[in-house]
Amino acid sequence: MFRFAPYIWKTLWRHRTRSLLTVSGASVAIFVLCFIGSIQEGLNRMVQGEDAQRRLIVFQENRFCPTSSRLPEDYSRQIAQVSGVTDVLPIQVWTNNCRASLDVVVVHGVPAAKLPESRELRLIEGQWPAFVSRTDAAVVGRQFALRRRVRLGDQLTFGSMSVHVAGIFESDSSAEEDLIYCHLLFLQLAESQTAAGLVTQLEVALDPSAEPDRVAKQIDEKLRSGLVPTTTRPKGAFQTATISDLVDLIGYAYWLGLACVGLVLSLVATTTVMSVQDRVQEHAVLQTLGVRPGRVMRLILAESTLLCFWGGALGVGLAWTILTWGNFSVGAEGVAITLRPSSAMIASGLGISVILGSLAGIIPAYQATRTNLVSSLRQS
Amino acid sequence: MPLVEIRNLTKRFRKGDEIITPVLDLDLDIEKGDLLALMGKSGTGKSTLLNLIAGIDQPDAGSIAVAGTTITGLSRGKLADWRAAHLGYIFQTHNLVPVLTAYENIELPLLLLPMSNSDRRKRVNFALEVVGLSDRAQHYPRQLSGGQEQRVGIARAIVTHPTLVVADEPTGNLDEETSRQIQTLLQELNRQLGITLIIVTHDVDVASIAKRQLRLEHGRAIGPSQSPSAAFSGL
Ligand SMILES: Nc1ncnc2c1ncn2[C@@H]1O[C@H](COP(=O)(O)OP(=O)(O)OP(=O)(O)O)[C@@H](O)[C@H]1O
Ligand SMILES: [Mg+2]
Repeated sequence: MFRFAPYIWKTLWRHRTRSLLTVSGASVAIFVLCFIGSIQEGLNRMVQGEDAQRRLIVFQENRFCPTSSRLPEDYSRQIAQVSGVTDVLPIQVWTNNCRASLDVVVVHGVPAAKLPESRELRLIEGQWPAFVSRTDAAVVGRQFALRRRVRLGDQLTFGSMSVHVAGIFESDSSAEEDLIYCHLLFLQLAESQTAAGLVTQLEVALDPSAEPDRVAKQIDEKLRSGLVPTTTRPKGAFQTATISDLVDLIGYAYWLGLACVGLVLSLVATTTVMSVQDRVQEHAVLQTLGVRPGRVMRLILAESTLLCFWGGALGVGLAWTILTWGNFSVGAEGVAITLRPSSAMIASGLGISVILGSLAGIIPAYQATRTNLVSSLRQS
Repeated sequence: MPLVEIRNLTKRFRKGDEIITPVLDLDLDIEKGDLLALMGKSGTGKSTLLNLIAGIDQPDAGSIAVAGTTITGLSRGKLADWRAAHLGYIFQTHNLVPVLTAYENIELPLLLLPMSNSDRRKRVNFALEVVGLSDRAQHYPRQLSGGQEQRVGIARAIVTHPTLVVADEPTGNLDEETSRQIQTLLQELNRQLGITLIIVTHDVDVASIAKRQLRLEHGRAIGPSQSPSAAFSGL
């Protein structure tokens, strides 16, 4: 097969404009496919992590946007009494945008001293004591810092508040890396002088034997008698419910992805059909010289697969570059899905383009070997 | 034993209700080293017979054996392998692959045979030399004249040292002068390299180089007719 590589290459090169257009068309579609795929991956990462299953979020009943949920901070003491609960972290959430957005800023105000132990964050710049001791201090996730070019010691201003960057952290969870943590009281007071003692949500850590759904039910029942009724869900379920509109949208994006696949398929198939129809006589000559029909078929499949693979490689490369440098996150209501390039994305992008390329070549390849040699030779 | 043995060969074409039988119950032997000219009026089935011998068409009845191999009834793939190893085909229009150089076009059939790179190079260079185009090896078909293209086509047909070379009106598209050069070349191939050649032609000059001339009429081969004038009167 490799002996015929120059022939394949020269054939594609002869119609370089056509080849180039096909490659670029395929690359755009594969790029979109990768982008959609990485949103899907980000969503999966968010809802399928260990944290997502083993931690509960207590939120005000029937509220969705973090700005509208208000729970007494001292609910945490009552929740801590429920069996199976090992820790409760009150969180005040601030976000720049309650609607879906490609650049969400989400600030979590938490009891500063508790943060290092309740989250698996590794500071890559700065020190924990510096964060704990300064009331207007904040630690910033790596992704966010990259996206907004935040550096240690910077002063960040959101709305009416301004925080001092005392650390930049990384985490195994990409969603975490998109967050900013600051002192709970600082955030409460920044929002309103009367907000002290009120939080957006409470995050509950469970002991390994506890059953998340049962504990959630118990918490809601226990707090039913309190001032504000609550809804408690595993963190993953909470996040999916919070951004359910976005999740629906991502579901539709799947169809868009399928459309991309169809687009690549028809584009490459069209090019290959044209190329084969141009060369009916040439393929008959090859067969007259003794090239087996099966080999002619493989030559044509190689052409379509190469075109598609190059398009795919270009699209994947483009997606990889843009996702790496863009540090995008799509989010709504204080929950963000981070978009990251992954090896799975690269592998599936390339894999899909190879498969599409060979599929696109099947019909023209088959046609080329089914024609009558004598009459094909007469054509010119 | 003759190199090519054709027995009771019949080929029919259906055109609507009409049935055309350009080859009917034909028997023909061709000896090794022969140079045979197939002549006859247009539409008498010369190309049809040649394509059957070349194994790119299948008869409705009868058999063709070349060097002991019965090629009628072989599968498409087997026939392709047989052509690669045993047949050289010279087309009327050269039919070179436009994206490949003269050298690469000639090399093409060798890629199908088990052969070392250096042997392949030697064979191609020798074939180029035979047709007198060593200095045009790296030219593309569009950079060659019609006669040069036909020479490349001939080199491609002989490069594998085939058992049999067939040519369908090899000079049909060439002017008189070039046609004469090609005739000389074909005659040399037959005389000096001992290549067995079957040439379909209308041209009495081309036929004159043949050791044997046959005329096709009503599906049968008539001959041998030795004199060019006899062939001429049949046109
Ligand atoms: N595929 C086909 N379908 C129907 N009829 C065909 C087909 N191929 C050839 N024929 C008919 O068979 C007859 C012989 O054709 P062939 O091409 O062998 O003639 P030829 O002797 O080579 O003619 P020419 O000298 O003009 O090249 C013709 O009448 C032609 O119309
Ligand atoms: Mg003919």
